[in-house]
Amino acid sequence: MSVSAEEQAFEPLIIVFGCNWCSYAGGDLAGTSRMSYPPNVRVIRVPCSSRVSPNFVLRAFQRGADGVLVAGCHPGDCHYVTGNYYARRRLSALRRFLEFIGIEPERFEVHWISGSEGAKFAKVMGEVTEKIRALGPNRKMRDVR
Amino acid sequence: MKQLNEVIKEVAAQSLSRGEVDLVIGWKKGDLWWQSYPAFVEGDEGVADLIWDPFCVPNLSRYLLEELDDKSKVAIFVKGCDALGFNQLLQDKRVEREKVYLYGIPCDGLVDPRKLEAAGHKWLSEVRRDGDELVLVSKEGEQRVKARDFMYDKCLTCRYPNPVTYDQMLGEAVEAQPQERFAGVEELEKISDDERFEYWARQFSRCIRCFACRNVCPACSCRECIFDIPEPRWLGKAKELSEDQFYHIIRAYHVAGRCVDCGECTRVCPVDLPLQELNRKFIKDINELYGEYDAGVDPETEAPLVTYNTNDPAAFTES
Ligand code: SF4
Ligand code: SF4
Repeated sequence: MSVSAEEQAFEPLIIVFGCNWCSYAGGDLAGTSRMSYPPNVRVIRVPCSSRVSPNFVLRAFQRGADGVLVAGCHPGDCHYVTGNYYARRRLSALRRFLEFIGIEPERFEVHWISGSEGAKFAKVMGEVTEKIRALGPNRKMRDVR
Repeated sequence: MKQLNEVIKEVAAQSLSRGEVDLVIGWKKGDLWWQSYPAFVEGDEGVADLIWDPFCVPNLSRYLLEELDDKSKVAIFVKGCDALGFNQLLQDKRVEREKVYLYGIPCDGLVDPRKLEAAGHKWLSEVRRDGDELVLVSKEGEQRVKARDFMYDKCLTCRYPNPVTYDQMLGEAVEAQPQERFAGVEELEKISDDERFEYWARQFSRCIRCFACRNVCPACSCRECIFDIPEPRWLGKAKELSEDQFYHIIRAYHVAGRCVDCGECTRVCPVDLPLQELNRKFIKDINELYGEYDAGVDPETEAPLVTYNTNDPAAFTES
């Protein structure tokens, strides 16, 4: 099978919804510690992982994301005490449902990354980017207009 | 024992004449033999129109949302699935229990006119239930068929034929004979992501976005719906697959954990989308991950997606 020019040049776009109190700070720490992570990642800061409505996730896919990641505080460490417990249930249900609609489940991930885990932030971003690169572009939920 | 068809007229007449309620919502016959429509009866005149027959499928509880705005008490008839829907409205704090009087109707399954039509039973004048059989009345005379062969799919999987809540029960309790309800979901789970994508893309592309599935749903009772608000405009008007996906994923997600599996959405869809498989996927996953839960059975419980346990499992790798 020949590889098209588009696929050869494929650079995945990863949208990360990062919780202000943990994961976004973890990303900051990665930066100030001079750890690099792939430029494919675009971080959108949200107050809490439970702020991430499925609307945001779907909109990201519609507008060109190849993968979406929600990053929040570890369970038990939520700045608002319980937000990520709700997020765990809701995003689990959403992830399974996206798979049911035919979206590869790897395209939607959730990770717990604390403010002190700069190295983990960089590592997760690298791993997710490579996984999505291997999967190829998302054509299943893209607004083609 | 008196026929249910007579009993409902009696109780309606009684509560209206005694001034116990301002309105009775029941069913009346439509223009054709297979149509039974919602009826809104405020005085003696309409009482005679009230019926109970094998086509009384519309869930009446959702009408309470509008009717209770300007009435102090309303009586409605509820079948098993309607009672679940009513409880969901209660749990969502959209109706007040004291303002409603519920007449419970044990329901042994309703008839899908399209199944009759598919079997060639088209020109009928009446269909009666008699035990396990249906009596099909036409110009040629009467014919008896097995009722279960012509019931709505949703009635074949019904687990709560007897209303779980009521003020007064009319009729004898019936026995539930539910078929396995997750068979369709399991079939779809077996095929590959790409095949599932193709399947749903084909289904979603037939949707005309009439919103009937939303409008009929007892779990879809928000005063302001995300699909209607202009700012931010979450759902565009274009007929485009990603917009259809957005509508269907978000509709099903909004009722996840609150869908009572009444099957009304699937019944009203003019293009026959298998919406119940979407709702049931959520029900099945939530049951597996967070414990068995039957929405609408007990309005005092919390829906599974508005609560949590600290040791909940996740459907993603936690690290
Ligand atoms: S989503 Fe469908 S099956 Fe579920 S409560 Fe609403 S109308 Fe009934
Ligand atoms: S009732 Fe059917 S056609 Fe109408 S919006 Fe729902 S799925 Fe689409």
